[in-house]
Amino acid sequence: MPWCLIDGKNVEFSDGATIIEAAGSAGIFIPHFCYHPGLGAPAQCRMCVVEVEGRTKLQTACSTPACEGMIVKTGSERVKQVQKSTMEFLLINHPLDCAICDKSGECMLQDNSYHYGDATMRTVEERRTYADLEMGPVIKKNMNRCIHCTRCIRFGEKVAGIAEMAAFGRGGSTEIATLDGAELKTPYAGNYSDICPTGALTLKDFRFKKRSWLLTKTAAVCEGCSRGCAIEVHHADGVVYRQVARENLRINRYWICDEGRFLYRYLGDPERVRQPLVSGNISDWVSAAGVAREMFNGGRVMVLAGEDLTLEEAKELLDFVRPAGAGIFRFGTPQVCAARDDGDEDMILRRKSKTSNLHGLQQLGISAFDGRPSGTVLVVRGGRAVIPDLGGCKVIGAGVFQGGETTDFEAVLPGRAFLEKGGSIVNCDGIEQRGVSVVPGPAEAKGLGDILRLLGRGGD
Amino acid sequence: MATRTRRVGPRKSLFHSIYIVDSFKGLWITMKYLLFRKKVTIRYPEERRQYSARFRGLHYIKTTNGVENCTACMLCPTVCPADCIHIEAGERADKEKYPVRFDIDIMRCCFCGMCEEACPKDAIKLSGVYDMSAAKRTVYDKEFLLVQRGNK
Repeated sequence: MPWCLIDGKNVEFSDGATIIEAAGSAGIFIPHFCYHPGLGAPAQCRMCVVEVEGRTKLQTACSTPACEGMIVKTGSERVKQVQKSTMEFLLINHPLDCAICDKSGECMLQDNSYHYGDATMRTVEERRTYADLEMGPVIKKNMNRCIHCTRCIRFGEKVAGIAEMAAFGRGGSTEIATLDGAELKTPYAGNYSDICPTGALTLKDFRFKKRSWLLTKTAAVCEGCSRGCAIEVHHADGVVYRQVARENLRINRYWICDEGRFLYRYLGDPERVRQPLVSGNISDWVSAAGVAREMFNGGRVMVLAGEDLTLEEAKELLDFVRPAGAGIFRFGTPQVCAARDDGDEDMILRRKSKTSNLHGLQQLGISAFDGRPSGTVLVVRGGRAVIPDLGGCKVIGAGVFQGGETTDFEAVLPGRAFLEKGGSIVNCDGIEQRGVSVVPGPAEAKGLGDILRLLGRGGD
Repeated sequence: MATRTRRVGPRKSLFHSIYIVDSFKGLWITMKYLLFRKKVTIRYPEERRQYSARFRGLHYIKTTNGVENCTACMLCPTVCPADCIHIEAGERADKEKYPVRFDIDIMRCCFCGMCEEACPKDAIKLSGVYDMSAAKRTVYDKEFLLVQRGNK
């Protein structure tokens, strides 16, 4: 492998790598704004300049390919001076409203200003201001904070496949806006907020909910569809505040769709069934489990397993159901009964199967529900699978349900959702991923193993 | 071994052992302070003591033209070592971000003044009010804190 010398460190890189990539692989951070590994390098923010021996001018690390034997200095006096000037230039028009801005704490401009900028300011001129147009239900724009890195424009063109954003005007008064002031149409709009290095594009959903430094960040897997994107869950005090994309080059690269991003809402939905129900009325575990047990052991039983269960839960359910002689079927997305029905919904990430573990449950040998329920039905699901029409059957629910779904159920035993229990799921490409329990979930909810033990035991 | 006891110290005469001189000496000090010195006590609660401007007492939220300075940036709950400040942020027409709720659990507060130090908007301040005893546990809300100024 070719090698170069960055800050006196011998760095090996693969052919075609740029200086910033080579440095990154060796753990050397080069400050940048416009460069993003998923969006390319227009080399316009000039923050990533480095000194290359033998070249008179400073080079932009994001667009200069690393060469064999190259000697790079990322922290020389010349570089520091340029970084300081760049920061001063960017901050001429940037408002000092970090106290209000949702980005503060995770803002690249804040971090780079702190590490590479000057503490004082020389300008006395008034800052430019814009009137902000509505950007749709996902993104809140604050153009005053924009530093013209054009990441959002490139995201639309290169990833979302829809060129919605464009730069209007020129120079310092450039305005980033949607064409004709239309609202954002892409179902990947939340990523605009993730990639924005400042607080110019922020999530409306997360607006003023929590400061970023008060959030605990846990790596997790999205359960929105069979893609199984890597996400990072931001939570505090047992409440999930947002989900953002996590880098996974095999699956979702750097992006997630809005459906997955806002999926966490059902965890804290006021409509969610948090206590055991008997015939729609709030009850306690002893009587609800008693009713369910009587029904379960009192005749022919069909078990429906949601395709949003983890592999561990599905196995537990199989071990419980098969000796009892009951039939077990899986259900999930209408019209997507098997792995062969599951295709791409668009050319980016979203899949037709809106449940996370269709492929895993199929591998376990659970066949699809054919739409003909019989006897007593035990519905086990994780909150995402669409409950099929169970016309007239007596139903026991175990797992995560919303109030409206359980009106006809005889008994409901509240369980834990995916972010509350953890477990393995198999995505559409056969990649098995393991999630961890991120938040504890409602106090009265139980894990599936406990629920099954309550169902099986005679009296407790 | 036989035990022997012996008195130590000067032997006192009868006159000395009834402490008559010492009693009058002490009484003279009392009378001196009563009659000739300035009083050290005040008639609390009608009279209040004036503490220094740097005294850290009850919190208040500063206002400018009737609008609270606070922008709910959450720096004070972040820095608070006692975890006694609870803020909920919101948005309204005249202010992009403002505290919908601003509660201080005064029983947890240790009056360290770090909230005042952290505040970028000069919004949360500690006044000179020092008598905060109450019959039950108290959480001061925004409406209360907005009108507390003490002597400031």
